[in-house]
Amino acid sequence: MKECIAMLLAGGQGSRLYALTKKLAKPAVPFGGKYRIIDFPLSNCVNSGIDTVGILTQYQPLLLNEYIGNGQPWDLDRVYGGVHVLPPYQTATGSDWYKGTANAIYQNINFIERYDPQYVIILSGDHIYKMDYAKMLAFHKEKEADCTIAVMEVPWEEASRFGIMTADKDGTITKFAEKPKQPESNLASMGIYIFTWEKLRKYLTEDEADKTSSNDFGKNIIPNMLGDHQKMVAYPFEGYWKDVGTIDSLWEANMDLLDPNVPLDVWEKDWKIYSRTAGLPGHWISSEAKIDNAIITEGCQVEGHVVDSVLFAGVKVEKGALVQSSILMPGAKVEEGAQVFYSIIAENVVVKRGAVVGAAPENVEDKSKWGVAVVGEGVTVGAGAKVGPKAMLEKDVQDGENLW
Amino acid sequence: MVNISTLGVIFPNTYDEQLPELTRLRSMASIPFAARYRMIDFTLSAMVNAGISSVTLLAKRNYYSLMDHLGNGREWDLSRKRGGLNIVPPFAQSNNNVYHGRVEALCSILDYLESHKEKYVVLSDCNIAWDLDYADLLAQHVASGADVTMVYERTEIPEPIKTANYTLTMDGEGRVSEIRTDDYRPGMQNLCMNVTVIGREELIAMVKDARTHNMVYFERDILAPSLKALNVRGYEFTGYRSRIYDMRSYFHENMRLLDPKNMDALFPAERQVYTKVRDEAPVRYALGSKVSNCVVADGCVIEGEVENCVLFRGVRISKGARVKNCILMQGTVVHPGVEMEYIVTDKNVQVSENRHLAGNDSFPVYVEKNTVI
Repeated sequence: MKECIAMLLAGGQGSRLYALTKKLAKPAVPFGGKYRIIDFPLSNCVNSGIDTVGILTQYQPLLLNEYIGNGQPWDLDRVYGGVHVLPPYQTATGSDWYKGTANAIYQNINFIERYDPQYVIILSGDHIYKMDYAKMLAFHKEKEADCTIAVMEVPWEEASRFGIMTADKDGTITKFAEKPKQPESNLASMGIYIFTWEKLRKYLTEDEADKTSSNDFGKNIIPNMLGDHQKMVAYPFEGYWKDVGTIDSLWEANMDLLDPNVPLDVWEKDWKIYSRTAGLPGHWISSEAKIDNAIITEGCQVEGHVVDSVLFAGVKVEKGALVQSSILMPGAKVEEGAQVFYSIIAENVVVKRGAVVGAAPENVEDKSKWGVAVVGEGVTVGAGAKVGPKAMLEKDVQDGENLW
Repeated sequence: MVNISTLGVIFPNTYDEQLPELTRLRSMASIPFAARYRMIDFTLSAMVNAGISSVTLLAKRNYYSLMDHLGNGREWDLSRKRGGLNIVPPFAQSNNNVYHGRVEALCSILDYLESHKEKYVVLSDCNIAWDLDYADLLAQHVASGADVTMVYERTEIPEPIKTANYTLTMDGEGRVSEIRTDDYRPGMQNLCMNVTVIGREELIAMVKDARTHNMVYFERDILAPSLKALNVRGYEFTGYRSRIYDMRSYFHENMRLLDPKNMDALFPAERQVYTKVRDEAPVRYALGSKVSNCVVADGCVIEGEVENCVLFRGVRISKGARVKNCILMQGTVVHPGVEMEYIVTDKNVQVSENRHLAGNDSFPVYVEKNTVI
């Protein structure tokens, strides 16, 4: 028996990340120099003492499956428990893709019951944050709640983008509105739920029987429980949390790691973020290189100028190259004299000699045309080519071609 | 990869006495090298990369750090049901004391050698960081029909090891006609690199025979007197290697890695060097930091100035500190205002505010583990 097990929703396609998620699921998108997004909830689990995690996958599972493997990098290779990847499967009566977040859990009731848990925590594979779920569970127990939802205050003007909770003084949720036009509160759901398992099982089963339901936690399960006056409480979270579902937010969250105030401290010894690493030697910074505020990891070779940027494993920045406010994913190469501004450069991209990708906002007159440029996995940007801001490249660019 | 079935036997403590500072608390095999590795990683990874999947380590003393580093061998893919990593501490057998030479050491694992079926055994020390192609070595051993193959390099013998070396003299066909012990001659010699290939059954017979004759050293007492009867051949290594034999060589071999050509030679893209994973975050270069010609491992936070340095995992250089020509091992913390040059710090050293430390190119100053300056 386990007191609490985690179910991690990792089936999201991440369609708003376009070229970055063409070949991999959103939770597997590289983040912060040596991580993938899913490392954050997984590390939170193991750091919080949760040693049983089911990962629900659906879209492009190949790389994610391989990445998770037996869970050893997260210390989740356990004899009883550990990490399990749970794709949809066929049954005697047919097979279903996961219809919604609630249906994904419903289809895995058998998995959950093997551990006979009292509580189940539902997590999402596309958020960057550090959180002690043990504290949230203690809160859930203390309040004798049926469901606890982690919330954080968001700026009022952004509240209409979130699921908004209205709670009374002792934290009991009185109202829930999904993306309200006129929000009554600024407490946004973080997509982290703890349920008393018995209750959740009941509501999942009822929801499944309802043919009109879209089988979603936010749209169905939570409103249904609230309508039945189940004890639902808001767990206030203070700290760094970011949904990295868009190009801009993914870029921003990486840049947050460079903030001198360190809002997201991945260097903290007591709350390590674990990941499966490439195992390359230490990186090398040449005597001609210039580094101003950067995150650089194993296997990199830097001879150029790197400003406000995040370099993943094995990235090469050659002499005279300039990389500014950009993210260079594993194996990317910026050749001599090339320039990269405000861009996300995916794995194994080559930016050839003298090419220019992206632009700094101050150098773009029409601000509506400015945005982070993205170069998809394995793309080659030819020598001397020009790729403008806000680009979304999925194919090679010829030498000298001008796409701006 | 080869299909020549071979057992690996590694001696982690050989040459400990040449680096008393670094081996006070550890073995030669567990000396930190090249920003995130230990000496053992190079030999072990090269064996694994050649398909050798049974490796025994004959530890002699100070093996705690080695065992901590290796664990069950998973990171080297040596956590296996068949074969895998086998660490033999001294006193593993009731009739055996701490060994002196390889013969005594091998005596303690005779049962192990007898219980295996591999046709060959490759014996290696850990004082050299290199990417030896064991597959090629074994292929040559088999093709040449040799009884024993010894790896050597053409080099001048460094002064400090003139009292601790073997050199080979070979005839026109590459057969060893003489093995010299503690060769002191100037000029280029065929200096042994302490890697030997031999048949498993032949090794067992030799070791048993040597024990009855009170012999201690494998090369001096067994091989050298039998060169007429035994077909001993040399295998020349011409690649990149870091041979560690004293503090100066330790310092310079680390510093040589600041040249990316050397780094690429020691870490060829097609073959990985495995080591213990420590889950360190990437390196953060803060605003106002300055870095020039450095090799830096993950987990470091750099706020000050660093030039010509090798920084191991988790080193912190605070604002206003200036560090030049130093090797700082894991967890070293350099506080604000410190200036240091030609210093080698062992693990978890703290250099307090505004301290000035200086060694010299020919005399890098070593600071012991856990010291607070």
